[in-house]
Amino acid sequence: MGLAYFAFALLLFTFGSVIMSLEILSSNLMSPYFGGSVYIWGSIISSFMVHFSIGYVLGGYLAKRAFKVSFFAVLLIVSSAWVLFIPLLHAPACNFIADRIVDVRAGSLAAMNILFFVPITIMATVSPYIIGILTHYHRDSSLTAGLVLFLSTFGSFVGTNLTAFFLIDWFPVSRIVTGLGWICLAASLLVLSFRLDRKLGRASRIRL
Amino acid sequence: MKTSRFPCRLFGITFFLLLLLGTPQKVPAGNEQTLYEGDSIYNHITIRQAGLNRCMIFGRHRDQRQTCMNIPRPDESVFEYTAMMFVGFQFLPDTRSVCLIGLGGGYIPTVFRMHLPQVRLQSVEVDPLVVRLAKDYFHFQLAAGHALSVTDGRQYLRRNPGKFDQIWIDAFNSDYIPAHMTTKEFLELCLSRLTQNGVVVQNVHNSNQLFDAQVTTFRSVFRHVYVFEGTNSSNSIIVATRAPLYPPPRLCGERCRSRIGPIDLIRESRKFDPNPRIRKEKILTDDYNPANLLLNRR
Repeated sequence: MGLAYFAFALLLFTFGSVIMSLEILSSNLMSPYFGGSVYIWGSIISSFMVHFSIGYVLGGYLAKRAFKVSFFAVLLIVSSAWVLFIPLLHAPACNFIADRIVDVRAGSLAAMNILFFVPITIMATVSPYIIGILTHYHRDSSLTAGLVLFLSTFGSFVGTNLTAFFLIDWFPVSRIVTGLGWICLAASLLVLSFRLDRKLGRASRIRL
Repeated sequence: MKTSRFPCRLFGITFFLLLLLGTPQKVPAGNEQTLYEGDSIYNHITIRQAGLNRCMIFGRHRDQRQTCMNIPRPDESVFEYTAMMFVGFQFLPDTRSVCLIGLGGGYIPTVFRMHLPQVRLQSVEVDPLVVRLAKDYFHFQLAAGHALSVTDGRQYLRRNPGKFDQIWIDAFNSDYIPAHMTTKEFLELCLSRLTQNGVVVQNVHNSNQLFDAQVTTFRSVFRHVYVFEGTNSSNSIIVATRAPLYPPPRLCGERCRSRIGPIDLIRESRKFDPNPRIRKEKILTDDYNPANLLLNRR
């Protein structure tokens, strides 16, 4: 189980930090097209909340149906790839929307959902999936639900501060987003390479 | 149980409503008087009266006055930078239209109303409460030929293809700036909304690294960028144009009008700094924009 714990901790911390990093960067992505008002933050936060909600339900479902970790890792690879494409998608999508929707609230909401619905919804599945899958395979896991949420939230703390106070100062936003995409992709591929399904199954049989 | 809960509920509802509405207060403090204090969706705004000067203050830094007006003489420039901005008329004396981004208490539109009636003025202010307070406390009114749009400055320019002789940008607080109005892309948008000899005039604080980054960014868009340095404040004015009609140091000067009301244009134009000391900074773009971090670096 040691490798599985490491893999899960890696996913929780990485995706927890990347989610919040993207949320902070969203304001830089939106403001040139929709202004820098409080409405933009309303759109960013409410969009992410909707993505989280759907992601939590989806994560719980995936865990309950005991979807394989390899399948889950592939989902994370899809979200990572999407993040890699955001810098390419961003300007044309925002220009298209800003030219057609006058209201900045509706415009920024539409733009946020087009850019972030897929990756953030998938990323939000990480915590409920891991909690569920640990419960399924290993009821006495030392990676408790509380610890899962701690790792994810601690990652979010790191992602928020690192982005707002340092990364925006050091790099262009597009390069930060691309970097986040590569980090997510690397973490997902690493976890996929661990072939955790067999190990979890074996651990489950031992426990039983 | 019902009777004892009722007052608590009433108190709770009242408190909640007060929170929703904001609580404008009138609080006297020494020889200064607070006429208004409240919150909009963008700012914490205080209006204070000290002697004849009435000021609108954004944020919590009460010592940093943002926009002031001498109430009996509303065309008198209380701040150095507001007078300096009129140096734009030394570049282009026959200016017919100006777009002002950032209304504040409405000092600049008041000068236009009183002394430049032939100039069409389009003001743009993002905060509806600022507009209301300018009307209620600073006697701001729209003159003939003046218009006001309550929207984000960049969004206004983006959606309106009309051109202006001058675009004035005064949308920045001392502790926060709308970063999307500092970038190369924004200045390119301004350039596309200028007439042939049109100028962009921007007020900046020169005591931080954002000043260097902004001058560098202006230079990446405009062929001619001039800096006017305040003599008794840390304000500078950046004037940028692709083709100046009257370039410094030989500005229009006494050949044209030397005053606009109480503002001495000749004196203001002498604040031109031919060799401003600009530290090396990166160009600010929509993609790379640590404007608010640079604002806090000396």
